[in-house]
Amino acid sequence: MSEQQHSGNQDSTHFGFKTVARDDKVSLVANVFHSVAAKYDVMNDLMSLGIHRLWKRFTIDCSGVRPGQKVLDLAGGTGDLTALFSRRVGPTGQVILADINESMLNVGKDKLRDLGLVNNISYVQANAEALPFADNSFDIITIAFGLRNVTDKDAALRSMFRVLKPGGRLLVLEFSKPTETWLSKVYDLYSFKLLPAMGQLVANDRESYQYLAESIRMHPDQDTLKQMMQQAGFAETSYHNLTGGIVALHRGYKF
Amino acid sequence: MLKLLLPGLLCTVVEKVLNPLIGMDPDAQSRLSRLQGKQFAVRLRGIPLRLVFTAQQNGIWLNSHDEPVDCSISADLLALQQLADPSQLTRLIREDKLQIDGDLQTLQQFSQFFQQLNPDWQERLSVHLGDAAAHKVAGGIQLLQRRVRQYLQQTEQSCRELAQDELQLTPVSAEVQQFSKDVSAVAARTELLQRQLAGLLPQSQAFA
Repeated sequence: MSEQQHSGNQDSTHFGFKTVARDDKVSLVANVFHSVAAKYDVMNDLMSLGIHRLWKRFTIDCSGVRPGQKVLDLAGGTGDLTALFSRRVGPTGQVILADINESMLNVGKDKLRDLGLVNNISYVQANAEALPFADNSFDIITIAFGLRNVTDKDAALRSMFRVLKPGGRLLVLEFSKPTETWLSKVYDLYSFKLLPAMGQLVANDRESYQYLAESIRMHPDQDTLKQMMQQAGFAETSYHNLTGGIVALHRGYKF
Repeated sequence: MLKLLLPGLLCTVVEKVLNPLIGMDPDAQSRLSRLQGKQFAVRLRGIPLRLVFTAQQNGIWLNSHDEPVDCSISADLLALQQLADPSQLTRLIREDKLQIDGDLQTLQQFSQFFQQLNPDWQERLSVHLGDAAAHKVAGGIQLLQRRVRQYLQQTEQSCRELAQDELQLTPVSAEVQQFSKDVSAVAARTELLQRQLAGLLPQSQAFA
């Protein structure tokens, strides 16, 4: 199933549960992330009880990263994955933190500099649908909690495939569909009742966290995303459900 | 539900303990630079976990995956402890208690790095307590370490003497050596006899 089929007609797309013009989604998503950037890390820890750090570590494990490799951390936001990769690729490798949102990129830049990670990291403001890199540039591409905010996910996956080196791998860490019914019910209650309230309390921004919950529900499920990756050209695609499928890590190779 | 995430948790904890220790050893940086960019993996037998250590200028970083690395070992916990003594290496491999894949030098370099790791606790402690107090505490800990080591050695010696000399439950080392010599002599004589018998067999068949 393609992203267009998934989201309805070609001129409109979803923004949470709302249907909006495709051209408007970029600015609407940008507004959300401009708004949450400053409190993004605090809210991540609070909302996931710190488990997002383990999801990210699992992503690093599945990347099989080696010293000297070139990594693209797409929609890298505040740079959690970039920090983990930077320490592992070492001075002979390179990590590029790319994000479409300037506010998120600035928060990431400040945080990584404070951690003393400066030598092998570059920052690029880029749209995942049209990546400004040459073909076959990266050994590893990751996109963590970013794909669901992209307007044309198929175009983004094709763009990632293009810039990945043959033999390279893409890792997509994203919210997904819980595998157990009871968990699904608890998760719905948490997402639609507690999450917006937490957003209001901590970040003074209920709407952005309401969007977060809605956008997760509108994101393709595990098997649909796997199919979309295959359609973009990725081979040996697979996924791991994490924390009962609340999050899934998809992996695909370019051969 | 969290099974897949546990190795990540373990790696985080080990990193959080190991890298500050490396930071406390003033000589570790130069030794680490010789290992830079090398990866070494350990798989503990009986546990579905493979820990990959990546050495970089700024520390040692851990992961858990099955990708190729410079050197990989598979051993049980006891064999892993014995690895601290390099003379045990051949015996452990021969007895199939240790399996090594890849560059042996990388294994030796990592092993040497960990053995030589000597964090300067006193320096770190002095930041919080002041120089004089930190020196006293460190001196006290060193004295305690010496006394505990001495006590353990004495206890081991007493237990050995009790078992060998008083209760005569185990042989003394001279008896073991003599027994080994006797066994070797019997084995040599048996082998000679076998060769002689093998030589006589074709002759007896010819006569028959």
